[in-house]
Amino acid sequence: MEAIKGRRSVREFRDGRIPDDHLMTVLEAAIWAPSGSNAQPWEFVVVRSRDTIEKIKLFSPGLFGDPDALVVLCVNKERVKGRGPKELVAVMDIAMAAQNMMLAAYSLGIGSCPIASFNKTAVKELLNIPEHVDPILMVSLGYPEKWPEPPRRRPLEEVVHHEKY
Amino acid sequence: MRNIKDLIQDEHFKLLTFLITSARGCVDEPHLYGPLRLVDAASKLIKIMKQEGKTVDELDRILAMIEEKKHLVMYDEKEFIKFLDELVAELVKIVKSA
Repeated sequence: MEAIKGRRSVREFRDGRIPDDHLMTVLEAAIWAPSGSNAQPWEFVVVRSRDTIEKIKLFSPGLFGDPDALVVLCVNKERVKGRGPKELVAVMDIAMAAQNMMLAAYSLGIGSCPIASFNKTAVKELLNIPEHVDPILMVSLGYPEKWPEPPRRRPLEEVVHHEKY
Repeated sequence: MRNIKDLIQDEHFKLLTFLITSARGCVDEPHLYGPLRLVDAASKLIKIMKQEGKTVDELDRILAMIEEKKHLVMYDEKEFIKFLDELVAELVKIVKSA
């Protein structure tokens, strides 16, 4: 619970390079997420080049601060083909992978922020992502300038319905 | 004419791509993200004006307000709208004092 409650969306980063092994731990956490029908539809594009991050920032209004790394989480549509109405499930799989990543990052002192506000067509083009792979979400990673205060949570009494709604 | 590498590092060009990308993004995003993108663009514009030596203390204060409060949109819509009102009030002060 400490990681779950302590994680924040970090939008201001200080300088500092995330060690490669920590980044790999974060990515490993992602692949241990559950996925519908065990499709594991994800592909992750890891971007560390400052030049490329700056180019991606041009098309990502939801990306704040200067993260050390960006991970673009994509759905490989080939992996969900023929599995019925799986596109929505695949997006949920991506969300679960992203949460795993962000919790693992937090446990290593790394701040993160999930970003949906970016132009998918532009990012696909910039990163040479093939046609059958769709970027869904980005996660920015870096050392926080500060850990933000927790936003208010809707209380359990309001959102949990026992036995019946 | 400047080359493309210089162009993509130009702060005006960065603002231009931000505006156009935001225009497309706002079609699908929550309606308050429109105001967020606009104040974020304003912040970028003030930073450009600063680099060009065109700001005054009052404008620097507006920049600080935006940077401090723009993320309220994610946490407290009411406060975010109040903050937008405060920004307009600050601008009026500048114009009135001219």
